[in-house]
Amino acid sequence: MSVLKISEVSKIFAGPTVAVDKFSLDVADGELVCLLGPSGSGKSTLLRMIGGFERPTSGLITIDGEDITHQPPEKRPTGMVFQSHALWTHMNVFKNLAFGLKLRRLPASEIKQRVEAVLELVGLAGYGGRGVNQLSGGQQQRVALARSLVLEPKILLLDEPFASLDQHLRERLREEVRDIQQRLKITTLFVTHGQDEALAMADRIVVMRDGRTEQVDRPDIIYREPQTPFVAGFIGTMNLVEGEVSNGHFKRAGFAVDMPIADGPAVLAVRPEALDLTAAEPGTARVHRVTDYGTHGLVDLDLRDGTRLKSMVAHPDLFKPGQGVDLRPQAVSAYRDNQRAYRS
Amino acid sequence: MTDAAEGAKRPLIEGAASRRPTGLLLVAIPVFLVGWLVIWPIINAIGRTLWRPDASGTMGFDLSSYVFFFSDQYSINNLTITLWTTLMCAILLLVICLPIALYLRFSHGRLPAYVQALAIFPMFVPSIILAYAFIRVLGPNGMVDILLNSVGLPKIRTPYLTPWGPVIGLVWDNIPLTVLILLSGLGNVANHAIEAARDVGANRLQVFWHIILPRISNSLLVAISFAVLGIFSSFTLPYLLGPAAPEMMGPFMNRTFREVNDPLNAITQAVITFGFCIAFGLFYVRSVARNQGQ
Repeated sequence: MSVLKISEVSKIFAGPTVAVDKFSLDVADGELVCLLGPSGSGKSTLLRMIGGFERPTSGLITIDGEDITHQPPEKRPTGMVFQSHALWTHMNVFKNLAFGLKLRRLPASEIKQRVEAVLELVGLAGYGGRGVNQLSGGQQQRVALARSLVLEPKILLLDEPFASLDQHLRERLREEVRDIQQRLKITTLFVTHGQDEALAMADRIVVMRDGRTEQVDRPDIIYREPQTPFVAGFIGTMNLVEGEVSNGHFKRAGFAVDMPIADGPAVLAVRPEALDLTAAEPGTARVHRVTDYGTHGLVDLDLRDGTRLKSMVAHPDLFKPGQGVDLRPQAVSAYRDNQRAYRS
Repeated sequence: MTDAAEGAKRPLIEGAASRRPTGLLLVAIPVFLVGWLVIWPIINAIGRTLWRPDASGTMGFDLSSYVFFFSDQYSINNLTITLWTTLMCAILLLVICLPIALYLRFSHGRLPAYVQALAIFPMFVPSIILAYAFIRVLGPNGMVDILLNSVGLPKIRTPYLTPWGPVIGLVWDNIPLTVLILLSGLGNVANHAIEAARDVGANRLQVFWHIILPRISNSLLVAISFAVLGIFSSFTLPYLLGPAAPEMMGPFMNRTFREVNDPLNAITQAVITFGFCIAFGLFYVRSVARNQGQ
């Protein structure tokens, strides 16, 4: 039952490179928060500062009110799962898990009991005697998770733990990790650059960019109501069209949308699933390519000035390359000065 | 037939039968040289010390030169000082080189680059230059003595011509190779493995003992095996820096052969030295094999 509080934390590397810039976040007890962002957005650096592997240039990190900002990793009540698993190949699975418990001088019987319990939890009961090199990538990742869980940390830190796994395994493991996290009610911070992972697992998502927070919200809100064009473009597929608003209409190359905001430049955002098409000649746009995914189709469109848009359609066979179409956006947002200015 | 089809029919590597003579020719010269200059002298030396004529001139099996070596106190002392020097050098090399390698592995920036250059520098200094540099610095009336004298302090008890003379010289001489081998071993220890250990509560000493040391054990074995093999049979530095008696096996063999003019006992000393080196060599081969097995 632990609360993590990050206050105005910055990290400036020599150069100087600002990796994390006055970042603040409160993670509630038992909550799973995903740090999501592109490479170089500072999410891993932030996680490493919480784990004690990087020293913040400024700011404060507390767990349950206790300042851990300058504590070494071995003194912190955190457990970290690394992207590369970081298992010790000269030890078998049992010894990997027991190592931290032995350092805490627990009795051998208790170590055995706790290791077996956590192996059961991650679905690796009976694997204690195996060498870690004998395990598959997914099993190694479970051992890495078990190694952190066996110490019952207050905060679990996951640094892109599934990045080295294939898609199928990744999907299965993220469900398992989420189940375990909810069962143990352990406060968890999860770093990923995979939006699917974040949307599927997180209670809240922190979208990071250039070391700063772009938006912190529930996954559904992040998806439906992105507050900045960066978040809109980063989460899911989004059509972002730069244009001009005049007299309550957004216009770009013959494509017009009602938009009751002040005149001036704006960025229109519309999801492919919210952009309906109707056949029309010559039409507002022309079909460039049609991709049939079986469950749905994706139509690539070109506006008259060549601006490329995407539309998700239920019947892709109705559209052919070169065909003219009219666009009917069902839900749009508009951004101005890096802030949301309108939502239909 | 298309090119692709022809390619499919043609084996990627030409037939083994046609390659065999070329391959054998390529290895023939080095194999011949090793056989002629290494294997044959070994067999010859062992044969000449074990298969000798008796008083009547009849050839037969004879261990008398070995019996003499192991019953002669002077020979035993020389073997003992050689083993002692080798052991001291091995210990000192570990004590000196492991911290240097650890520092180089886990530090970044300009200073570690200078330290590495300094650690590798002895590799480019010939042993004989090193020996005379040692004498000019640590020898009687050397630089240290002159400096101490200039401030009114007594002279140092110089290690020159004592058993510590060769130890200091050989350690200096072997630092570069030992550091390089250890550094290579440490390069295989992933940062994440160390961070994971610290994450579960290990302090720096525990990380070193439980994570780093087991991971570089093979490199340690290889480094020490290499150093020991060279030190045990070394000549120049013990000859120039060591005491007249007891002396290490290298100078001992040379003196027995040239000054005492006793080739049989010199060869016996060589075979015994070879025996010890073979034991160290097997240690090295075992560690390499274990490394490859992993």
